[in-house]
Amino acid sequence: MEFTALFLAITIAMLVAWRGPRPLAIGLFAVILVACVATLLHHATDRLTLSF
Amino acid sequence: MTDTQAVTLNALALYGLALLLAAAFAAQLLLHELPCPLCLLQRILFALLAIGPILNIRFGPRPSHYALSLLTAVLGASVSTRQVLLHILPGDAGYGSALLGYHYYTWALIGFIAAIVLLAATLLFDRQFDHRTAQVTAPGKFAQGAVWLVIGLTALNVASPLLECGLPPAPTIPSSMSC
Repeated sequence: MEFTALFLAITIAMLVAWRGPRPLAIGLFAVILVACVATLLHHATDRLTLSF
Repeated sequence: MTDTQAVTLNALALYGLALLLAAAFAAQLLLHELPCPLCLLQRILFALLAIGPILNIRFGPRPSHYALSLLTAVLGASVSTRQVLLHILPGDAGYGSALLGYHYYTWALIGFIAAIVLLAATLLFDRQFDHRTAQVTAPGKFAQGAVWLVIGLTALNVASPLLECGLPPAPTIPSSMSC
């Protein structure tokens, strides 16, 4: 679910970067980058099934 | 390097990212290479790399636009390094199939490091920033095509996690397209 939201948010940020105001595009970029770090930290505690 | 040449270089970078996103999506659908959460995060960060070049094409090259891509590439390299380290122990077969001897996350690490080096090298050319205050000319069809291609492929990738798992979060190691 969070990955779908991230892909959607990046698509919107790209459209804003191409058609909208520059500060809004950079603001959206910053929010997405923070969300990516949060997603990485969230999955850092996943239980992993090792393949060997 | 002039600002026009820098815009062309940014458009080429977008075509490269579009090719990478298309290849990852094709591997998922045609070869049934199911992406794990870290794999999806690396794909997301490759897509996020495109924001800087899009801003460069629209507003003209600026150091701040390159900085956005550099930050993304550093985070991407961190994520792919973590996944490489997860499979570093002797006897570990790694996750997914290998391409030319390396798994996709190893290629992602190489890609993000290459992006950092290329971005730093591009920043060495100061002349591209000379016309920052001048009116930026409208991008040509080559650059416009690159922007719309990468936007289209990112939009298509919205379906990627949904195809794999539906609305619930993806498992650590997915076992089938329907999870």
